[in-house]
Amino acid sequence: MRAARTAYPLKWRIMDALEGVATAVWPARFRHATPYLMLLPAVLLVGLLVLGLIQIADASLRTLDTTTFQFSDDYSIANFRRALTEPLFLVVAQRSLVAALIVTVVTLVFAFPYAYLMVRTRSPGLRKFLLVALFLPFFIGQVVRAYGWLIILGNQGMVNEALGLVGVAPMRLIYNYPAVLFGLVQYMLPFAVLMLAPALTAIPEELEAAAGSLGANWVRTFIHVVLPLARPGFIGAGVVVLTLSLTDFAVPAILGGGSQDFIANAIYDQFFRTSDQGLGAMLALMLVALGSILVGLVFALFGAGTLAMGRSRA
Amino acid sequence: MSGSRSKSIVLWTLVTIALVTLSAPTIVVLGASFTGGNIITFPPDGLSLRWYARISQASDLRNAFLRTLQVATVCTIVAIPVGTLAGIALAKYAVRFEKTIQIYLLLPFTIPLIGSGIGLMLIFGNAGILGQLWPVGIACCVINLPFMIWAVTASATGLDPDLELAAANCGAPPLQVFFSVTLPAVMPGVITGSLLMFILALNEFLVSLLLVDARIVTLPVLIYNSIRSIITPDLAAISVVFIACSGVAVFLLDRLVGLDIFLKSK
Repeated sequence: MRAARTAYPLKWRIMDALEGVATAVWPARFRHATPYLMLLPAVLLVGLLVLGLIQIADASLRTLDTTTFQFSDDYSIANFRRALTEPLFLVVAQRSLVAALIVTVVTLVFAFPYAYLMVRTRSPGLRKFLLVALFLPFFIGQVVRAYGWLIILGNQGMVNEALGLVGVAPMRLIYNYPAVLFGLVQYMLPFAVLMLAPALTAIPEELEAAAGSLGANWVRTFIHVVLPLARPGFIGAGVVVLTLSLTDFAVPAILGGGSQDFIANAIYDQFFRTSDQGLGAMLALMLVALGSILVGLVFALFGAGTLAMGRSRA
Repeated sequence: MSGSRSKSIVLWTLVTIALVTLSAPTIVVLGASFTGGNIITFPPDGLSLRWYARISQASDLRNAFLRTLQVATVCTIVAIPVGTLAGIALAKYAVRFEKTIQIYLLLPFTIPLIGSGIGLMLIFGNAGILGQLWPVGIACCVINLPFMIWAVTASATGLDPDLELAAANCGAPPLQVFFSVTLPAVMPGVITGSLLMFILALNEFLVSLLLVDARIVTLPVLIYNSIRSIITPDLAAISVVFIACSGVAVFLLDRLVGLDIFLKSK
């Protein structure tokens, strides 16, 4: 008896039982459908977002009756018209869009040399240092990082205190547009570097050496060899930075101090301050559309870059 | 690295600016948390641990932190099986409508967080589960799921399909092939993905802000609400909790899979 047990351990029995259950529930003739079964939970989970969008679309078509504070039962496009005509929303939309473009360009300018040095350096120590310096802030939330900037740049912050020591009057360094842009660039840098790095790794270093031996200086090598080959990385990084900064909430809220609202802040205010769910939902829907159009446009023009998942590589 | 002196100067200048910008908030928050004074000044009023003593007494902070851990745990536990299976399926099989499924699974990234958050707020509200913690965990899982799938596909593409065929040929039934061959091969991806999911859920702010109420407020939301009024060093001391968590995550990531994994070309 005992000998038989050691010869056929418990783990095997459990595995056999599991295999039995598996074949009973999912016979071999379903085999070709297995990948779809594996994808199902993820598809269902993401389905929550689709349901959410349908809810938003439904709410966006109902107008708020300001006398009874009830939402209308029938649909109208009044919210859409208000979203397009109210000057406040136009100012906010323009501010967010311009910010997103500036932040994308500035972030890429700093992310590229960072990624390049990290990939190309011969020193493993330097590479490790650059990686850690990148991941540490990446894993510290936006709120904490923005709080750090408040300590540095605030009216009684470190910079102003230091300036006071040398006799310079305090300056207002936060609650303005540049502060928000600066905070966003800092927030986006790790994303951009991480999207760029794989594309740079894929470029053989010999190509640069070859360009050099053919007489190109490093500027020309960058412009004609490295930058074009790094295009998938720039697309991936550009799309991520553009959409994340266009739709950001925390940085404008904390470093803008209410005076530099982005679209997301305007939506939040409609839901929680003005309590006009319909208009807020309409703005949210328009932001989703705007983001999707931007992403779609970039993908259609340049392909998915380093953002592609799965087997096919664009 | 080959190249001239001017190249190094330009590269290093830009990288140094980036490094300072990246590290400044972390260093300043760390420094401010040890200040002896009541407000944050520069240079600091001596060193002390009084703010740490203060936050260890505050039960609202401790509870908020425990709730945040709970949210991150729910998020990771859901993400591991869901993301691993989807990642393996995408990497290994020729699925019909593959492009469509890929675009669909990228929805959490293409839909802005404020849109996802409000949509989830509306459906959780209709379902009557708003005001509980686990829906917040599910929400964090949904919005970051592509990270998990990504990490798994990246390591699954390195798996030779012949290995699985060989195992099956030696008589291993499908589940055993999965647990003995496929899963160990994608393990680095699963570890990377789950660490990312945990730390991102720990830090998630906007979606938490939309889904929690005053009774179940999470730590990032609590910090945000307190920032609005006045800047005191106790906030810096709580923020150090996040810096410490981030440090642990970076250390684990480096130890378990190596940070270099993010430099690999696909």
